[in-house]
Amino acid sequence: MKKALVLMALALIAVVFIYAIGKMPPMNGKDTPDKTHVVPRYLEKGEEEAGARNIITGIILNYRGYDTMGETTVIFSALAAVIALLDREKRRRSRSSVDASKVETSTVVRTVARFVLPVVVLFAVYTILHGEPSAGGGFQGGAIIGASIIIFALVWGLPEATDRMPLGARLPLESSAMLAFLAMGVIGLAYGVHFLTFILPGLSAGVAETVRSLMLTVIEAGIGVGGGIIFVSIVFAMMREDRYELQQDRK
Amino acid sequence: MSFSRIVNNFNYVFSALLFLMGLYTVAVKPNLIKKLIGLNIMETSVFLLIVSLGMVGGGEAPIVEAGVKTANIVNPIPQALILTGIVVAVSTTAVALSLCIRIHQKYGTLEAGAILGREVDV
Repeated sequence: MKKALVLMALALIAVVFIYAIGKMPPMNGKDTPDKTHVVPRYLEKGEEEAGARNIITGIILNYRGYDTMGETTVIFSALAAVIALLDREKRRRSRSSVDASKVETSTVVRTVARFVLPVVVLFAVYTILHGEPSAGGGFQGGAIIGASIIIFALVWGLPEATDRMPLGARLPLESSAMLAFLAMGVIGLAYGVHFLTFILPGLSAGVAETVRSLMLTVIEAGIGVGGGIIFVSIVFAMMREDRYELQQDRK
Repeated sequence: MSFSRIVNNFNYVFSALLFLMGLYTVAVKPNLIKKLIGLNIMETSVFLLIVSLGMVGGGEAPIVEAGVKTANIVNPIPQALILTGIVVAVSTTAVALSLCIRIHQKYGTLEAGAILGREVDV
């Protein structure tokens, strides 16, 4: 009964969608409304103004710098909410089903992880540092770093992973995304220009360019490491609370 | 509004389809994890729609090569917006999953009917 009602409602929504799609400008067009206002300027002057050959990085870190700074607080508050709900993991103690399982991780999985994980981390560092001149960036690299550590925790178990990534080391890194952004923004204030201005007055052109690319790299690295570690902490907190189902099964 | 316009905008059609699939999952499936998966499918459909808006036929990635002028560059703004969107989607999913863990600890199940203590009509 409910299913039929839902399907009818979805059909109504689908009619509205199809009508709207019929009214939308054609895909692939070069002069659709979204490409005629601010985009030509970004494409033309993006490298010069934002200091990144990758226009997307320029938009994220420079034109929309405030937006990205808010985004780093979003992932930080996600971590805060998860910790408030689940609490931190305890060192060398885990109730996760991975650790409670009697079955050892297979040798194939261990060996493959041992060979692949260093390469994954190297690729993450490359992605973070290459956000400016080519495809890449802080959030993407952070996701790869986080994924590599999460795979480690899944293969070797939470106690081993919390030994390698202890809470004391993760705590300062979790806030590094926001702190890197704030620190680089305040440098602009100290030089008498607006918050999050990366071109500092009073320096010769060449030096100012170098300083700007250095500041952007610091922000990217902060976002990468901070974002990655935040997701590692979230997964550790979740893994520690995993065991309830197993206790139910054993009754 | 014409049929050819709808066929030409096939990316939008598929993102609408994905959105409806996600909405159906959220509305009908009683399992909370399945509802979350539906929510993520809906989010992905929105990402597909907005990234498709910035597409240019045969366009290149918006990375400026030194001294080379390319006319066919895709719109970078939707891509930058969607990067933000993906991060927010992951954050909300993380919070929702930890809520699911707490619910599972309290009730021992993730089925909406069992949690509410009554049969849920599907």
